[in-house]
Amino acid sequence: MQQLLAAFGINGKLLIAQAVNFGLLLVVLTYFFYRPLMRILEERRNIVTKGVDDAARAAEKLASADTLAAAHVAEAEVAAGHILKAAREEAGTERSRLVKEAEARAAAIAADAQARAEEVAAKTQRDSEKEIARLAILAAERVLRNQ
Amino acid sequence: MNSGIHVILKAEQLGSFFGLPITNSLLMTWVLMALLIAGAYFFRRRLALRPGKLQAGVEWVFERSFAYTADLFESEELARRFFPLLATIFLFVLIANELEFFPGVGSIGLMQGTVFVPLLRTPTTDLNVTLALAIISFLTIEVTGILTFGVLKYGKKFINFASPLGFVVGLIELVSNLGRLVSFSFRLFGNIFAGEILVLVAGYFLPYILPAPLMGFEMFIGIIQALVFAMLTLFFIKLAIMEPHGAHA
Repeated sequence: MQQLLAAFGINGKLLIAQAVNFGLLLVVLTYFFYRPLMRILEERRNIVTKGVDDAARAAEKLASADTLAAAHVAEAEVAAGHILKAAREEAGTERSRLVKEAEARAAAIAADAQARAEEVAAKTQRDSEKEIARLAILAAERVLRNQ
Repeated sequence: MNSGIHVILKAEQLGSFFGLPITNSLLMTWVLMALLIAGAYFFRRRLALRPGKLQAGVEWVFERSFAYTADLFESEELARRFFPLLATIFLFVLIANELEFFPGVGSIGLMQGTVFVPLLRTPTTDLNVTLALAIISFLTIEVTGILTFGVLKYGKKFINFASPLGFVVGLIELVSNLGRLVSFSFRLFGNIFAGEILVLVAGYFLPYILPAPLMGFEMFIGIIQALVFAMLTLFFIKLAIMEPHGAHA
């Protein structure tokens, strides 16, 4: 055994030194290499998870926004219908009012014209009556003079 | 290389520091640690939420291997606890093996008298290093088992008087557990050391062409061995935290 150890140069101190070297390397690599790498992988995994969650949430929000917008549009359409209907009704009454007003005005004008015409006719009659009387007087005078 | 093939089983001593022999493999271990720590430091400084190509690649490997560990343990928490150890074993062995054929490793050295002593020697071709790793791995496995089940219940895996068959199975388990110390350390040492010698010998046959594909192959072996060491540790930890034989029957 001694010879074997001697042949391979086994030395307790060297064994311990090499074990210590390895232990040191283990500690340093753990703190400088494995842990930081692990941490950054973890960090990235969290970010990716968060990103995926955010995307899902955004999609959800978008979907709800779509339904909300559709509801709003439907509501607006109904309101617009109401407004249109009311406007049509109002326009109808306005038109009938205007027509009535115009009819009234036309009737008034017609009445006025008729009155004026009647007056002219009466005046003409009066005038012609006066003329006839004057001609009658003239004729009578002439008859008298001839006799 | 002045006199034939020069194979030295053990790491050569360059000097000593307060009684600690400074071997060329120890020096190389420090170089390797410096490389890994500097790499980790610069990588960390450039770590960003939006990864570049390098970071994305490293993250991919990291995530995949972590997921595999978690799958095997069937627990994220256990994976979190053991992953740093497994990853460090892998990186340590991998970089050690891959540095083997870098220019300067094994070829730059000092003359101690008439003997050439390389300054740097691949740590995994020094049994001290592989044995230290094996001991760390072994202790982790056994301590995890004891912490999970308690000394008595975990001990029943190895010393079991419930039945003759159970006793024999327990003994086999005990031997195979202890055997891991040897198999872990010698498998890694043997593979990488043999590769080094293979390339060395090939260099004597055909110095300019033959070693290149062999080096490529040995670099591949280096990856495999790093993986094997880390994966076996992972599997043995998993075995240690599983219910002892017969307990669930």
